Amino acid sequence: MRIGVFICHCGSNIAGTVDVRAVAQAAKGFADVVYASDTMYACSEPGQEGIIQAVREHNLDGVVVASCTPRMHEPTFRRTVERAGLNRYCFEMANIREHVSWIGKDTERNTIKATELVRMAVEKLRRNRPLTPKRFDVTKRVLVVGGGVAGIQAALDCAEGGQEVVLVEREQSIGGKMAKLDKTFPTIDCSSCVLGPKMVDVAQHPKITLHTMAEVESVSGYVGNFQVTIRKKARFVDWEKCTGCGLCMEKCPSRKAPDPFNEYLCTAPTINIPFPQAIPKKAAINPETCIMKQKGKCGLCAKICPVKCIDFDQQDELVTVDVGAIVVATGYDLFDWHKYPQYGQGRYPDVITSLQYERLLSASGPTGGHIKRPSDGKEPKTVVFIQCVGSRDRSVDRPYCSGFCCMYTAKQAILTKDHIPDSQSYVFYMDIRSPGKAYDEFTRRAMEEYGAQYVRGRVAMIYPKGDQLIVRGADTLAGTQVEVAADLVVLAVGVEAARGAAVLGEKLRVVPDQYGFFVESHPKLRPVETNTAGVFLAGACQGPKDIPASVAQGSAAAAKVLALLVKDQLESDPQVSRVTPARCVGCGKCVQTCPFGAIKLVEDRFGNPKAEVVETVCQGCGICTVTCPQGAIQLEHFTDNQILAEVQALCPPRIRVNYAS
Amino acid sequence: MVEALKTAIAERLADLEMVIGWEMGFDALHATPLFIREEGDLHRLTLGPLAVHNLATYLPGLKGKKVGVVVKGCDSRSVIQLANEGLIKREDITVFGLCCDGVISHRKLREALPADLGFVEQATWHSDRLQAVVAGHAVEVRLQDILADKCISCRYPNALAADVLVGAARTPAPQPVPCQDAFDALPQAEKLAFWEATMARCIRCYACRNACPLCVCRDHCIATTRDPLWLGQENSPAENFMFQMIHVLHLAGRCTECGECERSCPVDIPLLLLRRSMNRVTEELFDYQAGTTPGQTPPLLTFQVEEARINERGW
Repeated sequence: MRIGVFICHCGSNIAGTVDVRAVAQAAKGFADVVYASDTMYACSEPGQEGIIQAVREHNLDGVVVASCTPRMHEPTFRRTVERAGLNRYCFEMANIREHVSWIGKDTERNTIKATELVRMAVEKLRRNRPLTPKRFDVTKRVLVVGGGVAGIQAALDCAEGGQEVVLVEREQSIGGKMAKLDKTFPTIDCSSCVLGPKMVDVAQHPKITLHTMAEVESVSGYVGNFQVTIRKKARFVDWEKCTGCGLCMEKCPSRKAPDPFNEYLCTAPTINIPFPQAIPKKAAINPETCIMKQKGKCGLCAKICPVKCIDFDQQDELVTVDVGAIVVATGYDLFDWHKYPQYGQGRYPDVITSLQYERLLSASGPTGGHIKRPSDGKEPKTVVFIQCVGSRDRSVDRPYCSGFCCMYTAKQAILTKDHIPDSQSYVFYMDIRSPGKAYDEFTRRAMEEYGAQYVRGRVAMIYPKGDQLIVRGADTLAGTQVEVAADLVVLAVGVEAARGAAVLGEKLRVVPDQYGFFVESHPKLRPVETNTAGVFLAGACQGPKDIPASVAQGSAAAAKVLALLVKDQLESDPQVSRVTPARCVGCGKCVQTCPFGAIKLVEDRFGNPKAEVVETVCQGCGICTVTCPQGAIQLEHFTDNQILAEVQALCPPRIRVNYAS
Repeated sequence: MVEALKTAIAERLADLEMVIGWEMGFDALHATPLFIREEGDLHRLTLGPLAVHNLATYLPGLKGKKVGVVVKGCDSRSVIQLANEGLIKREDITVFGLCCDGVISHRKLREALPADLGFVEQATWHSDRLQAVVAGHAVEVRLQDILADKCISCRYPNALAADVLVGAARTPAPQPVPCQDAFDALPQAEKLAFWEATMARCIRCYACRNACPLCVCRDHCIATTRDPLWLGQENSPAENFMFQMIHVLHLAGRCTECGECERSCPVDIPLLLLRRSMNRVTEELFDYQAGTTPGQTPPLLTFQVEEARINERGW
């Protein structure tokens, strides 16, 4: 092999603490290296041209670039060597920036380490072989998981872009958390008025197939070719026939079903449509409280239904769809505030969450939009808002800021004054975080125009006195204790990953962070991609986000999907496992361990079992290669011999008896 | 016990291609594997403390044939493990299980006798004592003094998943193997020094590998291939130790501690020191002992995003 080595200065990023010239000089002595030089910025236009020129002048057939992390620029340099006429896998990268210059200050030792890393890269490159990707067809359909505002936006944008969309929503209606809100900040426009038309668009779009009361059961396949099984839960109503007239809801004698849409502030009829703008506007029966399902008699809804759509024997249904890409938009859930002893842990009915308060404010809510406190239905005159309940608090393992609570608390304070002009709001806060267009002005308005009393400090306890709640806390600006006799206390409960996110993440091979939010591919440059090709993120499943940010991400994910699905074929990564049939004993261990189902046992012409890799399914994780005891299965571009060569280059054997010596 | 076993084998022999057991070997202190193909072979069958071999080792090579095998408790684990890994078909195998009092270590026996094993003129067992005449001297050795280490720590004296179980069930009374704890307590440097010294006498005969019931790569062993080239053929402590480490790691979650590797080693390398450490780790990490539960999937043959006992995040 004729290898060229290029040591990058990266300005002073590398050259500052690594003697790049010395590394290049040392590299000249490595096996098969015929050319070595240092270059100011290898990734720049002249840097890349220099590589191409060297390849041509010195007739190189392999290139090592020692520079930054391959995550960023390996694709760049692969394209460079390809332009120079080489196979793109006849290239290796040594990371002497993140692994050397940025982490050590000692130039002498950094230079030694950089030289060793280059030597390892050369030794690996000497064993590289040209690889060619295969092409495979792309299924032009996208699955969107979650029908909140982010998922709705992603689905609509993908559908407008001409792709078929399958939208899966766990609840009975799409709309997510936004559908529960009364008004939205900072414009105080009606939430369902802005979201409603989008929900209707989803229902009416010819390219969108909507499955609500449905969950992703299993996912197999890979980018461009996912097979997804969706479990549609039994709803005991034939939705093909149901017109959403609501007669059944009126007549249903069992009216004690829990009402998650109204945040359990009230109960609902057992056969129910969660809210007037629900999409799809179809009734479903809760089997837990249905008299017919529990006791075997009643059936009033079936008698009253004008289209006879009640089906008490309905079962869960499994639907399988092939999709090319998946958008995860599973949103968030609220932190369980009952962990806090100081807020009464649920003993006081008039301590409610902000989302419950939204339902009290909403005209479609249990109180018809009149603020009545849960205990006695009285109109509260003094309302205390407590911020950061389950946000920025290490004691409950929620050190992060939920981002939008400051804003909606200000909104709720304003709305309280609007609803009850002689009311007084108090807001206990830590800091007011209102970056965003017209956000800070909005919180100012809550204080200055609507007279909300902002108290900077934490609440130590809430206890009942008469029919009021005494909220005792600190005012850290005044340096005093404060006590407020409140009629109603609203907790600005923080955001956490949606329940079930971990299970879904496992199915989709999307990794959750330590708090359960899905991890994006790059925090700045790839915010909606995941490390699983073809799976994208939108909205609060990736971290707390307000509505505009979620909508923006929904559109961003859609753009990524469209860019993917515009292609008829994709290239598969050739860095996949390969079986040497002569060495395979057919024990099948690789088949058992493969997390992607990419290996199957086939029979050779003598009838012996042999492993075979389905190249387009293999993700190149390498689990099979470490499982195979005799090394019959090797990961292309990372073969045992390549890795061993790197290890040998780094640490030559310590004990060795040589008969020649 | 042996008569009951003979009856049981005779009953089933017609349906089987062969039954593998033991017979007396070239002298009074060695047994050797016996392949019973017809009833006429049955009288040669023997049992007892000399039946040291794990006969399950033959099974993968006989895959596809209907075979019976006589197994001790430890050997039965190998059968279960092989079946769990799909390396044999359990329904093809008829397991004649024994309730075992332990077998001898020829190494310990050698040390207990006044002359070499070759000078043994006669030997008879009287329950747990061996009376022998060696080079003209009459000697008596207690079985418990020459019991193999694996029998001292045996947790499964009665064959598991046996189709026919012969003998009265023994109550397991495992004692810790003294050398193991002492060795594990050594500082890392001393352990390495020990292995460097010990591996210097390894002759890379691969007897340990060939005797292992779970080494099934046959002609494709990683130790003798150049692609991938994990180790060379040079007979140096480093390469020898590398081979042993590979052997141990290939047995992770699979080794049933039958001790055939150590028994077959012609230069007395205490290979079970490595195996027991490995098995202790797999038991701690996966709550798993190879070959004890039929139908169980070995932990390293599954893929789980997170293992219950491995803390992958909190550190």
